[in-house]
Amino acid sequence: MNERDVIVIGGGPAGMAAAIEAALAGLSVDLVEQRPTLGGAIYRQQADGGTSPVQSKMARQRFARLSTALAGISANMRFSSVFLGLDADGFVLIENRQIGRIELIRSRAIIVATGAVERILPRPGSELPGVSTAGGLQVMLKETSRAPQGRVLLAGNGPLLLAVAAQLIRLGNPPAGIVEAGDPLRAAALSNVGLLSHPALLAEAAVYLKDIYRAGTPWFRGTRLTRIEKVDGALQATLCDRHDAVRTILVDRIGLHDGIQSNRIGLPAEQTRTGSAPVVVRAGDCREALGAVAAEADGRRAGLLAVSLLSGIATDISVAERAIARQRQAQALITRSFMPVAGGSHLASLPDETLLCRCEGRTVGDLRQLLDRPDPISDREIKHNGRFAMGLCQGRFCASNVAELVALLRPDASKPTPDGLTGQRWPIRPVSIGALTRAAPEDNCED
Amino acid sequence: MNSFRFLSKNIPFNEGESIAAALEAAGIRQFGRDAVGHEIRYFCGIGACQCCLVRIDGVIREACVTPARAGAHIELVGADHE
Ligand SMILES: Cc1cc2nc3c(=O)[nH]c(=O)nc-3n(C[C@H](O)[C@H](O)[C@H](O)COP(=O)(O)OP(=O)(O)OC[C@H]3O[C@@H](n4cnc5c(N)ncnc54)[C@H](O)[C@@H]3O)c2cc1C
Ligand code: FES
Repeated sequence: MNERDVIVIGGGPAGMAAAIEAALAGLSVDLVEQRPTLGGAIYRQQADGGTSPVQSKMARQRFARLSTALAGISANMRFSSVFLGLDADGFVLIENRQIGRIELIRSRAIIVATGAVERILPRPGSELPGVSTAGGLQVMLKETSRAPQGRVLLAGNGPLLLAVAAQLIRLGNPPAGIVEAGDPLRAAALSNVGLLSHPALLAEAAVYLKDIYRAGTPWFRGTRLTRIEKVDGALQATLCDRHDAVRTILVDRIGLHDGIQSNRIGLPAEQTRTGSAPVVVRAGDCREALGAVAAEADGRRAGLLAVSLLSGIATDISVAERAIARQRQAQALITRSFMPVAGGSHLASLPDETLLCRCEGRTVGDLRQLLDRPDPISDREIKHNGRFAMGLCQGRFCASNVAELVALLRPDASKPTPDGLTGQRWPIRPVSIGALTRAAPEDNCED
Repeated sequence: MNSFRFLSKNIPFNEGESIAAALEAAGIRQFGRDAVGHEIRYFCGIGACQCCLVRIDGVIREACVTPARAGAHIELVGADHE
């Protein structure tokens, strides 16, 4: 059978950089991407292949550099192909959606670079149509270069809200407001002088803020979005500020975002011993969510690590590691600036009817009831008896919220971890049993 | 312009666009209801939440990561709009 040296999963900056390093060292490389194009979450290209006008100049340059380097090597691109998992015999399972079947591929090393998912706190009404993640709105506007129609409200926590707001403004539909739980302009955040050593970040923020200020978009800082309701075909958002003053605002679309977390549920564990089992290395935001610059550096690190593990030749990963450390420091400073100021825990104050797990329709009240018993309940029982973190999304959006709320409700017991709740299981995407049983080692179906 | 069918409607799309983007442009934001009764709709945009599932020529797929194809027939996974 035709065994590859390296399979890279994910065509964002981390996967692209990893593929480039491995191929430059002479290894055979396949790159698997579920979408029809490269770029990942940040360098998402316009659907027609053109460059999106909402990409910053710096982002365009970084993507152009990666694309040119990738074009210069001979990596085998597998688009519209979804990585499902690594089976016990060391086969990589790929659902090739171009031909509608599952392929089994052998590879000496697997570099997993599946990126991040947004953190979304539960709020009553967030399951309504018209409510998406802010990143989801951004994906669509990068792809289509059209702003969503109607009044858009962005709400949650963190700098991505500002980026999406600036992009909406550039496409001609300034948002009705940005609701931010933190207050990066308060004195304590402004004295965060460490950021001065990251001028590129400050320059990016300045561009966004200038556009937002010019468009007259209100930035409600120290404010939380606590409830969404359908009112006369529109969405009514309830906002609560740091002094508990409440107001409502009527919009058509809401983009939520409370941070970024690694998309690692169900991924194979790292395996850096060479032997009969394939080497597995994680790269980019799925290893540690530190943004695009770090993801590219981490992809290089992972590519070089795979090269040294497979060929026994020492490679120097110290340059990449220093770049990652610098981005880690920058992200910590940003997180500090955006620390939520509104008093009390968002999770603790949720009403019982709030959906925690949308897939299975499980609410905050259901969790309170499940935990309200004298004998302790295990993390696995929370999933299997309570049906939390059990649905189609496999806990990607609810597991961290469930874990935190359990810790709040049960302060004397050990804090569950999201991974403990979900367990590590594959396929990492729901797939039909029929398709799985028709799966064949790749050489048998290449006829 | 290319188009696909969503239930009985013709939905135009630009080459390369996802099914979700084409439906959004046509003003369609709700793709029926799932097994627990919630409205199926676009949410994360990156294939992770599984909240946007539709049946494309009989196969269940995420509308957000599946490119629109001329002539495709798209149906709901669960119950219809009420
Ligand atoms: C919706 C969203 C929007 C974001 N916007 C910004 C922004 O504006 N600015 C910013 O600095 N950062 C943004 N980020 C953070 C972003 O994740 C990083 O900056 C950077 O893109 C990380 O690079 P990566 O290569 O690790 O992952 P990604 O760029 O996310 O790439 C991962 C790739 O893997 C593919 N993939 C995932 N699972 C599978 C699978 N099972 N099979 C096959 N392919 C798969 C995905 O389609 C994707 O192309 C955003 C994140 C998200 C989730
Ligand atoms: S919108 Fe989340 S999977 Fe499609």
